[in-house]
Amino acid sequence: MATERQERTIQEVKDSDPVCDGQAGLKFVHVGADQAVAYITRLRDVQGYTHLVFFTAIDYIEDSIFRLTYMVHNYASRQDLGVQVDIPRQGATMESIHHLWPHAATYQRELKEMFGIDFPGSPGVDDSFILEGWTGIPPMRREFDTKLYSEQTYFPRPGRVTHDTAAYMKEKLYPSEAETW
Amino acid sequence: MSLKDIIAPFSVWKRVFEKPYTNKKPIDTRPGAPRYRGFHVNDLDTCIGCGTCEEICQNVAIDMVPVRETRHGDSGLRPKMDYGRCCWCALCVDICPSGSLGMSNEYLWVDGDPEVFRFIPGHDEKSWNDSELGYRRAEGYDLLEGSRVPMPMLSVEESQKSFVEMVQGYSKEQAKAEADRCIACGICVATCPAHMQVPEYIKAIRDDDMVEGLRIVYQANPLPASCGRVCSHACEYVCAMKHKGEAISIRWLKRYIVDQIYLGEYSKILHECEPDNGKKVAIIGSGPGGLSAAYYLRLLGYAVTIYDANEKAGGMLRYGIPEYRLPYDQVEKDIEFIASLGVEFRQNARIGVDVDFLDIYGHNDAVFFSTGLSDPFGLDIAGEDLPGVVSGLDLLADVTHGKTPDIGSSVVVVGGGNVAMDAARTSRRYGAEVTILYRRREADMPADSEEIHEARGEGCEIVVQAIPLRIEKGTDTRLMLYWGKAEMVSDGPGKRPRPVLIEGSEEVIACDTVIPAIGQAADLTFLPQDIASRLVGKRGYVEVDEFHRTPVAKIYAGGDIANPKRDAISAIANGHSAAKGIDIYLGNFQD
Repeated sequence: MATERQERTIQEVKDSDPVCDGQAGLKFVHVGADQAVAYITRLRDVQGYTHLVFFTAIDYIEDSIFRLTYMVHNYASRQDLGVQVDIPRQGATMESIHHLWPHAATYQRELKEMFGIDFPGSPGVDDSFILEGWTGIPPMRREFDTKLYSEQTYFPRPGRVTHDTAAYMKEKLYPSEAETW
Repeated sequence: MSLKDIIAPFSVWKRVFEKPYTNKKPIDTRPGAPRYRGFHVNDLDTCIGCGTCEEICQNVAIDMVPVRETRHGDSGLRPKMDYGRCCWCALCVDICPSGSLGMSNEYLWVDGDPEVFRFIPGHDEKSWNDSELGYRRAEGYDLLEGSRVPMPMLSVEESQKSFVEMVQGYSKEQAKAEADRCIACGICVATCPAHMQVPEYIKAIRDDDMVEGLRIVYQANPLPASCGRVCSHACEYVCAMKHKGEAISIRWLKRYIVDQIYLGEYSKILHECEPDNGKKVAIIGSGPGGLSAAYYLRLLGYAVTIYDANEKAGGMLRYGIPEYRLPYDQVEKDIEFIASLGVEFRQNARIGVDVDFLDIYGHNDAVFFSTGLSDPFGLDIAGEDLPGVVSGLDLLADVTHGKTPDIGSSVVVVGGGNVAMDAARTSRRYGAEVTILYRRREADMPADSEEIHEARGEGCEIVVQAIPLRIEKGTDTRLMLYWGKAEMVSDGPGKRPRPVLIEGSEEVIACDTVIPAIGQAADLTFLPQDIASRLVGKRGYVEVDEFHRTPVAKIYAGGDIANPKRDAISAIANGHSAAKGIDIYLGNFQD
């Protein structure tokens, strides 16, 4: 299924040896959304990446995309590989991989709830994951204002007082009105 | 109900004597992983109380509370956590500019009182305060940009050939990128002598709203085109981002705002003056202090007249700072707007010669003077009255007047301040070989470090720990300057080491010109003796209160004569305070 170009890409990634977050040996490969599932299938069936470690997304709101990351593992070579797939934020939809790994359905259900990314055909994808009764926009989307939600939803603990840095320094260092008006 | 259901509750009792599957508490407590995000730690000596942790916390779990003494560059506030809200995401640790905030790997804390879970890390006694383990921001993982957007500048090879402005200014993209680095903590506001609302005008740049930016700038500084170029930028020395790398380029961001707006647009953007209130104020000296007082008094409706001895207004901004640092048209931009409000300028008016002080005093409701330090100190050595010895201030003023200075082909500048660097670099531009002699170490030089760096880059030789001994007439050159080497002698802890001449050391430089630039004093001879004697206090400063009122009724003073900071922005702040003081004194003040 996978093309020659994709196989070469894996080879290039191994040789160039990019490192992420201090963990040596963690490699990433970037694949177009239309070829991603075919590519991952080949990784699983031909190249020994038999384990889906996790499946997650990052919201790059500035670029109007979600970056999906499929982390797969090859037990024989003890190699992790991250497959990154960019999809448009608008009407975000991706082909399901639950037929490759049944537990992928759980990740896809989570992604639907947290980011609003749909995976048509994935079992139970529309069921609540942890946010029972949630009616707002999916909370991991970057336009979700966590701070505002926090302020509106939870009462402030009595007795809490804070100070604005600049105002406090004025009070302490130059309280006279002669200095500013 | 089956028999099993009846027996089952009793059968579990047989497990009472078996080894439990759960961990014992507290004996078998498992330590957190080495980079576990456990309870917070904070190095209170490194923390500067900028409040960025509070700002980024998405759960509103952090309050800034007074813990330490407030000083410049440190608010004295420290973060207090509310563990009822914290989700241990560690954004506060990741963003912390000083790197003081971290997390230990301790994760067990049991208490029946919910109030104890609000605590000040590093301040309240906690078992994990000294924990080395736990989460810290990883090396190389930065949410903040530590490096400045580089300023386009003429190369030193290019700059020493002419008086073209060296610093070329940010483009829109560059200014926005630099503004984006600001965390808007506001620590700089206290340190700016004029307390400009720096985070607000930087926000205006981020929002690309120059009109708002200009309004904010003019609230505390009516000379922003000049200050945006030559301000001593005390703000940048306390910038929180300095703990992360380089300070925000606050001075040049201010310049960016002013450079985007034509003078002709100002009147549509800035405050209009209040109606004339019928009162008159005289201002003596048209430097930054006088101009600032004039601007704010005029806004309040006073009739303002500025008396100045020079041909053109601006004081040291015009006559003391070379054009490659501050082009005259920028000084004029600032002054022309003030003049356009109806402030009257009387140039070439020397008080005591062309105009009588008591006449001004008698005909005005108040007098503000900000006449600066115009009297250069002499070297106090033999031969300093020889032709070819000229003070730094006189050289710079001559250049402003359009004269080509007669400096010959080799110049020795004595001094280590900004005037010395200006005189040296100006001499370079007239083709002279330049040596700068300074009696202390380079680290002691009062000049801005960039001035020293650029002077050297333009080919000025800097000789430190050098004390001039005498000047004699030369043979091939106009002069011979003899100087001796100094050693630095400690004057006790906390005091600046003192240069002491090494007896017997003597060197000589053949040169055409010697330029002393070792400081200057006030010249208050224009004041009548009885008034002068009541104004001048300790160390030759004019004594003023917080509103810059002198002990003599109706007389206010500011700028270098009344202010040990001796820079333009302090003079501007003085003029502003004096304007308010005068307004209160004349009974017109409305809060």
